[in-house]
Amino acid sequence: MELEHTIRQTLDQVAIIANCQLIDNINDDTVLLQSGLDSLGFAMLVAQLEEDLGIDPFSQLQIAVYPRTFAEFVGVYRQTLANGN
Amino acid sequence: MNLLQRLQQANYNSTAISAGANISHTQLIAQALQLRQQYPALQHQAIALSYTDLSTFTCALLAFDGWCRALYLLPDNTLKLPEQVICWPENTPAGTATPTAEPTHWYLATSGTTGTPKWIAHSFTSLSRAAKASVQSAALHWALCYQPSRFAGLQVLLQSLLSGAVITDCSSGDAQQRFNLMLQHSVNAVSATPSLWRQLLMTAQLSTLPLQQITLGGEIADQPLLDTLAVLFPTARLLHIYASTEAGVGFAVADKRAGFPASWLNQRHSNLLLKIDANQHLWLKPPQQPDTGLASDADSDGYLDSSDLVSIVQDRVIFLGRASGVINVGGNKVHPEQVEQVLLQYPAVRQAKVYAKASSVLGQLVIADIVVDTGTDSKALQAQLVRHCQQQLERYQLPARFNIVSSLATNATGKLSRKADVKEHHE
Repeated sequence: MELEHTIRQTLDQVAIIANCQLIDNINDDTVLLQSGLDSLGFAMLVAQLEEDLGIDPFSQLQIAVYPRTFAEFVGVYRQTLANGN
Repeated sequence: MNLLQRLQQANYNSTAISAGANISHTQLIAQALQLRQQYPALQHQAIALSYTDLSTFTCALLAFDGWCRALYLLPDNTLKLPEQVICWPENTPAGTATPTAEPTHWYLATSGTTGTPKWIAHSFTSLSRAAKASVQSAALHWALCYQPSRFAGLQVLLQSLLSGAVITDCSSGDAQQRFNLMLQHSVNAVSATPSLWRQLLMTAQLSTLPLQQITLGGEIADQPLLDTLAVLFPTARLLHIYASTEAGVGFAVADKRAGFPASWLNQRHSNLLLKIDANQHLWLKPPQQPDTGLASDADSDGYLDSSDLVSIVQDRVIFLGRASGVINVGGNKVHPEQVEQVLLQYPAVRQAKVYAKASSVLGQLVIADIVVDTGTDSKALQAQLVRHCQQQLERYQLPARFNIVSSLATNATGKLSRKADVKEHHE
């Protein structure tokens, strides 16, 4: 839960910096490409999370795990942290 | 031979542009001939074309190459034209003129090395050099993902036209909208920046496209992305393109590995000679004199400095970034100096240094190190700077982070030291 909280907080910060209008009530099933966060916002989110969490799961990512929804996005971070990367 | 003559000779009997209504090669030729009849006074003139839709733009290229003295392809931003030109179709005078055998100069805008855009002259012959026609290429259906008034987009358009393939404009909208268009039109060939490819992968539906041709260009293609695409489309032709605006040439790499083989440094490849200097700059020697304005920059052996930094890693030459510090955010070039100027306008900011940070999503992002007045509330300042930058800069120019530092290093000439900014892009 703590990880999801961090990601949500970072998401809100990044939306301001990247000038993105996020949709209300982002939930587990929200499709990332429809969250209001565009590619620039998404890139900034991944960069900021690398600062906060010390990992960037996308730097070595293979297609099998490309996240589509918010829950999948959180899952990618949870799994990368669990793998000790 | 001009563009229209090439298409007349090829005599393709198929769809050329697939949009709301399909347009065949034959219809394109007929419409182009009609345009020439309609605008006889444009012969010998210099004209500027803006992009409205793919059919109109393509017809105008066919009509006016070999008909006008110069064609300026206007990008979306307002750009000063170097001579008196007629903006087609708004400002076209009436009258007649005599035919010309002179080849048309095509002018394309580049972002320039200082942030000031400049016009580079090309000919149809030089622009169409890379276009290949074959049975396989005629069966392709291209998605146009770049603006066709820019070099990369024009290359895709000419490749499609000259090979008898079909093309659909997918150059606007977000990744999902572009993907939907590709799916709707059964696109099987896509040329896009690595950043757009990553976004297309995020639709999680990309594998439903029957891709036979995958081209990456405009940014450094990294190995994880090449691997991902190769696994997803094992039988597709997977190319990454290196193009140097500085040298007016480029080459394609087809072995699905990042960079290019180091062995190419010792032998002629794609009609080019390549070398690396002591400062890690890649130099290229084109097969003939470059089009214009570039010849004077060549060294005594005829090589041109690409200003791209490279390093040799085992058997590969790997691209590191631009020597000038130009940042490439998803294919958009950001000049650090321009962002620094905007930051320095803000009263509390004493010094600013802008540089790239590698991004696994967009290739690179903009980062700003700033020195501020003592006693400044850093949290409030960050929020104010974000707003200030949003008012003054394009979105892709926005710093992803402001680091408040106590001082910034300068070099012997008193300029900000940018040497440490180039970080290895690849793992």
